Amino acid sequence: METSRLLLLLLPVLLIQLGLMIFAIIDLIKIPLTNGPKWMWGVIIVLVNIIGPILYFAIGRRNY
Amino acid sequence: MKQFAILMKKEWRENLRNFKLFWIPAVFILLGIMEPVTNYFLPQILDSVGNLPEGTVLEFPTPEPEQILVAVMGQYQLLGLLILALAYMGTIAGERRSGTATLLYVRPLSFPAYFMSKWMMASIIALLSVWLGFLSGYYYTYLLFGGVDLTGFAQFAATYSLWILLVISIILLASAWMPNAGLAAAFSLGMIVISQLVDSLLGTYWPISPLKLPAYAAAWLGSGPVTGDFWWSAGVTVLLIAALIGLGIFLSAKKAATTKV
Repeated sequence: METSRLLLLLLPVLLIQLGLMIFAIIDLIKIPLTNGPKWMWGVIIVLVNIIGPILYFAIGRRNY
Repeated sequence: MKQFAILMKKEWRENLRNFKLFWIPAVFILLGIMEPVTNYFLPQILDSVGNLPEGTVLEFPTPEPEQILVAVMGQYQLLGLLILALAYMGTIAGERRSGTATLLYVRPLSFPAYFMSKWMMASIIALLSVWLGFLSGYYYTYLLFGGVDLTGFAQFAATYSLWILLVISIILLASAWMPNAGLAAAFSLGMIVISQLVDSLLGTYWPISPLKLPAYAAAWLGSGPVTGDFWWSAGVTVLLIAALIGLGIFLSAKKAATTKV
């Protein structure tokens, strides 16, 4: 019972994480250049939980 | 006014396309959810990863619901401000580098409309994020710990919103002033951190200060701050925001010449 409740509680977190990851990957595919190699950001986005996509958007994206 | 509407449309499209409209609220919502959940499961988490010797008994006082919301605010004060600074450090400084600015500056551009459109868009996204984050934190706190008075919560979030507007103004001013985005982030974060440090060390001598707004916000969840001090601080903050915007408009016009072509 405890685990199913925990899962229900964390479901929104998982959804947000998934959404962030999808947005980050779409952006990574479309963007011509990033700070640092593109494949590295791909690995970070997919493998680092939660903060991977955030790191990409905050630092990896070249806004200039 | 017409220029402002057009520039606003540009800002909107830009923030939609670089996904800032999605990822910044998502981060704040995540922070808002994680705080109550980790607090609720703290004993289990310590059990499984804490590496405590066999038979250790730790008694945790169940935190009050209000404390959880204050803890969410603490997360925003650390990570939230960092995220905002990183996201908006390039709004003007980065535009000058990328060449977007040259397209704008060669036209008869109204700098107040230019700066205000950026300030409005950044504020809208920041406030949206903070409110969505607090609301999700409120919901989870309600589920796991118990209800918080809704009026107190609204006052808490509104007071914190004013502080966020001040932070956005500082970040955009730095972005208009500094030659590149990195310096803008460093300058604005440094300003905020140092002034907060000074305020926490010497601040007992002056109850009226914009830097005390987060503390006053937290006080709304309890018995409420001293009314006079709070309203004076809020008034000073509004004036300060107006001054920062004015200075930002001035600097964005003055530094337009540093644009790289």
